Amino acid sequence: MAELINPSPVVHERKATRRRRTPSHPDNAEEREPIDSLEVFEHIRDITDPEHPYTLEQLNVVTEEQVEVDDAAGTVKVQFTPTVEHCSMATLIGLCIRVKLLRALPPRFKADILLSPGSHASEAAVNKQLSDKERVAAALENPNLTQARLPAACCCTGAHAAACLSAGMEDWAASLQH
Amino acid sequence: MGGPAGSLEELQCLTGHTDRVWQVSWSPSGDMLASCGGDRTVRIWRRDPGAQPERWLCAAILDDTHTRTIRSACWSPCGRYLATASFDRTTAVWQHAGGVWEVVAMLEGHESEVKEVAWNPNGGLLATCSRDKSVWLWEVQPGQEYEVVDVKHGHSQDVKTVRWHPQGEVLVSASYDDSIKLWVEEDDEWVCAQTLAGPGVGHTSTVWEVAFDAAGQRMVSCSDDCTLRVWSCRKEAGQQRWHLLSTLSGYHDRTIFSVDWSRQGLIASGCADNAIRIFGEGGAGDDSSAAEPSGSGVGSFAMLCKREQAHPLDINCVRWHPTDPGLLASAGDDCCIKLWRWRPDAC
Repeated sequence: MAELINPSPVVHERKATRRRRTPSHPDNAEEREPIDSLEVFEHIRDITDPEHPYTLEQLNVVTEEQVEVDDAAGTVKVQFTPTVEHCSMATLIGLCIRVKLLRALPPRFKADILLSPGSHASEAAVNKQLSDKERVAAALENPNLTQARLPAACCCTGAHAAACLSAGMEDWAASLQH
Repeated sequence: MGGPAGSLEELQCLTGHTDRVWQVSWSPSGDMLASCGGDRTVRIWRRDPGAQPERWLCAAILDDTHTRTIRSACWSPCGRYLATASFDRTTAVWQHAGGVWEVVAMLEGHESEVKEVAWNPNGGLLATCSRDKSVWLWEVQPGQEYEVVDVKHGHSQDVKTVRWHPQGEVLVSASYDDSIKLWVEEDDEWVCAQTLAGPGVGHTSTVWEVAFDAAGQRMVSCSDDCTLRVWSCRKEAGQQRWHLLSTLSGYHDRTIFSVDWSRQGLIASGCADNAIRIFGEGGAGDDSSAAEPSGSGVGSFAMLCKREQAHPLDINCVRWHPTDPGLLASAGDDCCIKLWRWRPDAC
């Protein structure tokens, strides 16, 4: 693989998060639990960074604080921070987050995946790529990748990350970028 | 003065597609509706002849041709052919006779996904556009042969849509580069006669669709910038020049994927906030209008209706029926097509 964009990332501990379980009322056993930012964060925290055998949480690329959820309105906003300002993996990371949430959240949710303001040299361009539904749909339809492999690629451990990349995920993100 | 407010009555929900429906297209006589989408098929819908009230049924499924999403379907003006544009980089031309459909031509050349195909009003030319940033013009030859007459590279990003002016002499394209371009033929070559873009004029994000009014004197565009822009045409120094007439902002909260202008003058929009909105001319209250100072409200548009949750997910396409006033079709990420009847309020 070519030279790493960020050869020495700063690695953080995985935060211990404990969900406070509200006691369920016998009356509304049918009521669905609203989705909150912790739940959405739990879907994305363990996505492996494309370059290193660490998760997006460990690299501070995603944090619980940067996930905003409005369950009633059905909206989710995730801001992510690439480790390096010129990171060419930014689109790929954003796409992985989007795919993971597409598969994990009810279809009624509208997800906005954005770079943290000021975190990237081409912030507007990357944000636009990530929010173009048609480009994303075409990129995900890449015949080189079966649907079954995509979620594995996004959540795989470091050992598999390189293999997944070589399987064409770079083309996948590239077709989103151009 | 002005159109009355009203409501959209849902007539029917057409199910069958197994993936999002990207586009619907009425046949020129309005007897058929074609739909296409992520399941790589086209469905042809017809009225059920006996049914009261009116019901539409799936009359045909066109499959086994495109290997990826079918993004656009467009009928030839004679109604005998249907062109389909696909993410597989090809455009297919289908012919139907006696309920039997077959592919009679495959147009290849685009380097990436084809986003739209549009037949010109006399049926002699086909326009296609793609993520490869180009617009292709194809001439229809005898025997269903298609010859490329021109390839236009003016846009700097994906071209999302192509649409012909009702009189057929102008082709409009709109792009991820935020601009709208108007193409005319000059000495056997197509040239960009005008680009609608820039501060205070053009959209500030991707332009998804463009629609002309029945007379071809106005055009409405919709964008990821959550506005509709209405443009009008004036003759200046012997040339047709388009100007921004009105910007409709503050009505939509998310990307507007589709817009269509009915023969009766109603503008319908389909939005990623799951709503269909209907706009009419001559009311009070759009944001910034360079309305003609005739005082009649011409050039000033008002929202007549907002139908929330028209679909439970994004709406990708809205199309007015060509002859039945007030009949509207919509297509969504919910894999469904819905038929609506515009009901103006009693005045």
